[in-house]
Amino acid sequence: MTEGAEAHQVHPAPGRALHAYLLGRLEFDHLLALQRRLVYDVAGDRDAGAVILCDHPPGVTIGREGSRVHVRPRPEELTSRGWPVRWVSRGGGVLLHLPGQVACYPLIALDRLGLTPGEYLHELQAIVLDLLRAYDLPAEADPVRPGVRVKGRRIAHVGVAVRDWVSCFGIVLNVHPDLEPFYDVHCDGDPLPMTSVQRESPARVRVAGVRQKLVELVAARFRFDRVSVFHAHPGLVSRSPFPPGSAGGGLKHAVPTRTR
Amino acid sequence: MPICVPELGSPRAVLSLWYVRPGDRVSEGDRVAEVLIPGATFDVTAPASGVLGDRFVLPTDPVATGQTLGMIEEAAPGSRPGLRTNVPPGE
Repeated sequence: MTEGAEAHQVHPAPGRALHAYLLGRLEFDHLLALQRRLVYDVAGDRDAGAVILCDHPPGVTIGREGSRVHVRPRPEELTSRGWPVRWVSRGGGVLLHLPGQVACYPLIALDRLGLTPGEYLHELQAIVLDLLRAYDLPAEADPVRPGVRVKGRRIAHVGVAVRDWVSCFGIVLNVHPDLEPFYDVHCDGDPLPMTSVQRESPARVRVAGVRQKLVELVAARFRFDRVSVFHAHPGLVSRSPFPPGSAGGGLKHAVPTRTR
Repeated sequence: MPICVPELGSPRAVLSLWYVRPGDRVSEGDRVAEVLIPGATFDVTAPASGVLGDRFVLPTDPVATGQTLGMIEEAAPGSRPGLRTNVPPGE
């Protein structure tokens, strides 16, 4: 704990609830709108927390530490592949988004937990290490560029933004994406293409199982007592390209399906 | 009132950008600047309401915990939020 966070610190109240949004595939624009809304909500009720679990259509995001030079295809080639490039206000560098990843974006009041942004990054890396340990994968946190490596290759990217001491963005983990495109995009500037849980694990890995485990790890590490799981958010209704009832996140009402 | 860098938990930090310019009126809690550590951006907020005065740090400059980034000065009577109050009329 540190001076800046300590100045804000209040010990977390008992009975803190984490709202977990399992949203399936989510357009990046929709994610940004939802994050803004949830940051506002958590800033107003700092004992509450949320976590978004989703994946994104193919595309490239470039964080504050990234450079266009890490994306090898030329703009016209990116257009023909249907890979939009978006500059975002998170830490970290270039990231290629593909189906088969799990994005885990916790929205948590760090001051409530007495965490600095640096300590929070370590906690996110520790969550990924705990997850990979469950799949018997020896992994290590990247000390230079936040993320996690298995056998020298990056398997997860960690990059966040902190607004009003509330976190957003977070972890993107390769579960079983097509790894070929990672030759063309040097994620976080690393010249080695990323690997995946499926590539490194002898067992079959299910995305649903990874999502579930991540929710549990986030709740435990950030001291939430209860978890409510939702498969939609009311703020996504007007933007969703998915019909009601699909797995894409376009339900009219957010319905908790499981609590503990 | 100084705008100071809080403890960010990283030995390396740089100023990313300023969200406001000298003369802009801000309210306490408004974000005024962004600081970058490896892996994270952090919005620095105004410690008080007033007008942004001097800025002591430029984007990409290294910054350290406790360092003063700039100053918030008392707002002139009649100034409105978001307006640059130190520019001559007609600019």
